[in-house]
Amino acid sequence: MVHEVVNQVMGVSEGLLPFLLLVPLVAAVFVLFGAPARPVSVGAAALNLGLALCQCVTYEKPFSYTLFDVVPSLDLKFLVGLDGLSLMMVLLTTLVTLGAVWMTSKVESGENAFYASLLFISAGAMGAFISFDLFFFYAFHELALIPTFLLIGIWGHGDNRVAAAWKITIYLAVGSIVLLVGLIGLYGSLPVGQRTFDLVKLRELATTTSLIAPSAQRWIFPLLLAGFGILISLFPFHTWAPEAYAAAPTPAAMLHSGVLKKFGLYGLLRVAVPLLPAGMQAWTNVLLVLLIGNILFVGYVAVAQKRLDLLLGYSSVMHMGYIFLGIASLNIIGLTGASVMMFAHGLSIAVLFAVAGEVRARTGTMRLDELGGLAQPMPYLALIFGLAMFASIGLPGFANFASELMVFFGAFGAGSGAFGYEAAVAGKFNLYQIATVCGLWGVVVSAIYMLRAYRRVFLGPLRSTSADVAAAGHPVTDDLSGNRRWALALLMAGLVVVGFRPGLLVNALQPVLLRTLPANVSATTMLPASGVPAHPQAAVVAVVPPRG
Amino acid sequence: MSPIYLEAAVVVLGVFLLALEMFVVQGEKKILAWLGIAGLGIVLAASFFVDQTAPTGAVPSYHAFYSTDSLAMFFKRFALVTTIIVLVMSVDYLGVVRKFTPGATAHGGLGEFLALPVLTCAGLMWMASAVDFVMIFVSLELVTISFYVLVSYTRRNAASLEAGVKYLILGALSTGFFVYGITWVFGLTGQTNLEQVSAVFAAYQGSTAPLLFAFVLLVIALGFKIAAVPFQIWVPDVYQGAPTPVAAFLSVGSKAAGFVVFIRVLRTFFHATAIAHKIDLLLVAVAACTLVYGNLAALPQNNLKRLLAYSSIAHAGYLLIAVASSADPASGGAIAFYLAAYLPMTLLSFLVMIVVANYSAGDDIADFNGLSKRSPFLAFAMLIAMVSLAGLPFTAGFFGKFLVFTVAIAQHQTLLVILGIITVACGFYYYLRVVKAMYFEPDTTPSGQPGGQIPVGLLTRVTIAVLIAAILVLGIYPKPALGLLGSAAPQEAAGVLRSVSPQVVLR
Amino acid sequence: MVTLNDYLFVSGLLFAIGFAGVMLRRNILIIFMCLELMLNAANLSLVAFSRFNLTPERTPNYNAQVLVFFIITVAAAEVAVGLAIIVALYRAKQTVQVNDINKLQF
Repeated sequence: MVHEVVNQVMGVSEGLLPFLLLVPLVAAVFVLFGAPARPVSVGAAALNLGLALCQCVTYEKPFSYTLFDVVPSLDLKFLVGLDGLSLMMVLLTTLVTLGAVWMTSKVESGENAFYASLLFISAGAMGAFISFDLFFFYAFHELALIPTFLLIGIWGHGDNRVAAAWKITIYLAVGSIVLLVGLIGLYGSLPVGQRTFDLVKLRELATTTSLIAPSAQRWIFPLLLAGFGILISLFPFHTWAPEAYAAAPTPAAMLHSGVLKKFGLYGLLRVAVPLLPAGMQAWTNVLLVLLIGNILFVGYVAVAQKRLDLLLGYSSVMHMGYIFLGIASLNIIGLTGASVMMFAHGLSIAVLFAVAGEVRARTGTMRLDELGGLAQPMPYLALIFGLAMFASIGLPGFANFASELMVFFGAFGAGSGAFGYEAAVAGKFNLYQIATVCGLWGVVVSAIYMLRAYRRVFLGPLRSTSADVAAAGHPVTDDLSGNRRWALALLMAGLVVVGFRPGLLVNALQPVLLRTLPANVSATTMLPASGVPAHPQAAVVAVVPPRG
Repeated sequence: MSPIYLEAAVVVLGVFLLALEMFVVQGEKKILAWLGIAGLGIVLAASFFVDQTAPTGAVPSYHAFYSTDSLAMFFKRFALVTTIIVLVMSVDYLGVVRKFTPGATAHGGLGEFLALPVLTCAGLMWMASAVDFVMIFVSLELVTISFYVLVSYTRRNAASLEAGVKYLILGALSTGFFVYGITWVFGLTGQTNLEQVSAVFAAYQGSTAPLLFAFVLLVIALGFKIAAVPFQIWVPDVYQGAPTPVAAFLSVGSKAAGFVVFIRVLRTFFHATAIAHKIDLLLVAVAACTLVYGNLAALPQNNLKRLLAYSSIAHAGYLLIAVASSADPASGGAIAFYLAAYLPMTLLSFLVMIVVANYSAGDDIADFNGLSKRSPFLAFAMLIAMVSLAGLPFTAGFFGKFLVFTVAIAQHQTLLVILGIITVACGFYYYLRVVKAMYFEPDTTPSGQPGGQIPVGLLTRVTIAVLIAAILVLGIYPKPALGLLGSAAPQEAAGVLRSVSPQVVLR
Repeated sequence: MVTLNDYLFVSGLLFAIGFAGVMLRRNILIIFMCLELMLNAANLSLVAFSRFNLTPERTPNYNAQVLVFFIITVAAAEVAVGLAIIVALYRAKQTVQVNDINKLQF
């Protein structure tokens, strides 16, 4: 009896999955055609968060189903589904969307188009995360491209905004087309008769057989890595990100850095790692070198920044390095850490950008040397910024800490051959361990620039601000007003809850990630429920002989 | 009813419109356009009820010249739809024609401008069915000569005349190459029917030089029609100078008909296995040049018509990628779908351009500055058209490119794929420049209506809405369209190119 | 005895002269005449092929001769339209030199 009821509820919630996508899409169209922008958008975002939470509560095991066929001869169909990983991304998307829409301040002209663009970006990300089909997974991400272009170009900040809009759009377009070729190449390299865009089928095939010839994997993987890498701002392709985030209106920066950029990482975990293990192994060293660039080079560049928005932009690029490190380690701890960090970083960077946007609105400047002492007039913003900053550096109690720890343990123990630890003890560091050490030093670097920024912006004597802002009627003394405080509190709550109970995410993620790993690598030890290994030995990943 | 009556009906309609203008209609000429649109609409509807089976019998009939296969039917409908939309554009464009045509008062001298597209449409429909070199030649010339008149129609406009002369000379030159190519094919085979020519080619044992010579001549001639590099030199000038609806017609109708003839001729030559390899090389080279030239030359353009001209060359390049990958059975479907996607997005951009140019007296990209404030509807339509031309997902253009790249990667056309990546990126730049002008720039029209709304007529508004819907539906849910093609063009177009082995034909 | 090759040679020559004229001359009328020359080259070789490549019944292949008539007709139509355009151009610009047609440039 109870079982039946449970089953029914489950069935309903499975059926509700497409609404996660439809709600923002339909709301965007309504807003575009003149519905009251803010109430409809906030309502849609809140409704979507509700739907996502409903999925979280009823989620038991991965499921997927076909919405409609597109090209039967290519086995191309719109397949939606949910598993632990995509569930986490859906939750992140709805949280950040609600935060971004809620935090949107008054838009001077074209308010409807502004909110519609935000909802389109959110719908694009949502579509990418719930599509279990290579084609739609790719296509939905592109849906966000033009709204981003318009948001930055029309409503952006500074004289540089059109140039920044161009830069992000061209970069992302090039990344996408490289990615598209990689994905089509992947499809074309499948054995005839097994060609499909269906990710569920592909992953099942990939666990039993070597689906794609290793020689093909070796040229497809770099295409995917370059394509996803450009979207994620991997080291040499990262220059679009800080500029675009600095020029973008605050909600756009929150959505893009918090959610959309995670699409590439999600794609690596979803497509590249499980389907192209040989390609991954062949290109790991390149990836490791590049991610060291992300962590150290970009980290130092962030230290040198003189503007808060650029600093946050570079810091978001830098943290991508840690997630790459977790993915590159190719063991369950590293992958789990990387996934949790996607969630944690998404929330923390969104909060940081939101506070920076509020500061800009109140003072009219982002230059660190023109700001100062803002903690006095705006204690709430200062508190939230401080918390998000500590989260971003990786202090215990926030989700970032748990994930960073897992990434470091995963990466340090990774590498071919024997266990990393013994090799390290013997004084022979492999590239993984070098990268891990660099990553640890990167934490120090990020502490340096974050704390410095905090001191410059919020502490010290209160600086006078530019006259035009005062004339525009933004007295510098205002703190964040009543109901918008809750938006930031909501995002921070997500960070803290996962920080104290990482098991919530880890338990949902691990079955998915275990199947993501190449068939001949399996974890002998599962993580304790807390998600943080009690002892380094628990994190050891053994290489067992291939099955069968 | 045989499909032959479709062309007959269109010709009758065209002549009827001319006669009507001469003898009956004294007032507003728009009524001619509406009659034309209605008539073509009826023919389009009738095309779904015709009997496609060719009569079988030993006696050679009209069907030795005239194919009724689904490839032909697909392109007949394509031509009809294109012409209908071109007539809609012409209604909006009549004011400009009036201004630049001597003798055209409010009530005279405009009938030919509306009747000639209808006659051209008949030519395009015959081209789609032509399977004999005589038939191909005559229908091609019907189209080309009608276009000479249409391109130079606004003859008080020096640019239009100049475009007309350029199109005349280069069009006639391509005709010369075409007939000389036919001559050599005839000399080699003694046949003009494509099927019989294929049979002779399949058994051909002689020297390959004359075969290649004939092929190159034909490729040059058809390259002119489809705007493939290096035979594209006329395209930008003619598009810029010609009346805008005519440019749109050239860019969509003429190109599609050129492609169907190109496919049929190519199929014939693929039977000559001795030169198949060289044909492949030639196609790859032409496709590569077309892609690179079209996209790179589009980058610095400031005139939207010229930009669309180069974009038309660029799209010919993507189509040629699929042609060069014709060993893949899916390539025919890719070509057909790409053309089907190309139709709404190109016509939509031309249509919006006409409406905007009516109110800003120019078709430079700068004339689109601030369009989002003057007319959000037109700006949105143009946004969709540009995004689709650039090839973003959930638009028809993306799906076309997706299918093209799929066949190219399956055929390991590495060079073309790499060039494709680069040129698609270029495409993003120059198409988004238009978006940038519409949305980012302040409204700075020189004309008398800064910030004034642009009125859009009901017919135009409906057409624009239909085209937007077509672009989105083809991009999001192409299954019905693909199904329509799948039962029709692609299978045959696929068979078109290579799957018929020479042995089968020989027996 | 005049062979097929002789006809083809002359026709090729005509075609080449016509093409060279189109490329090199600057007067539109002469260019137009050269275009006609190219069409006539095709006519000549078509008739020659028809005469020399007999069908199995030992009759000329009349398809080609029919095509010749079509080409002549089409060429006439082309001239009619073409000359009209050229006259209109002359009225507008008082010139028939291609060098002066330079309003539209790359």
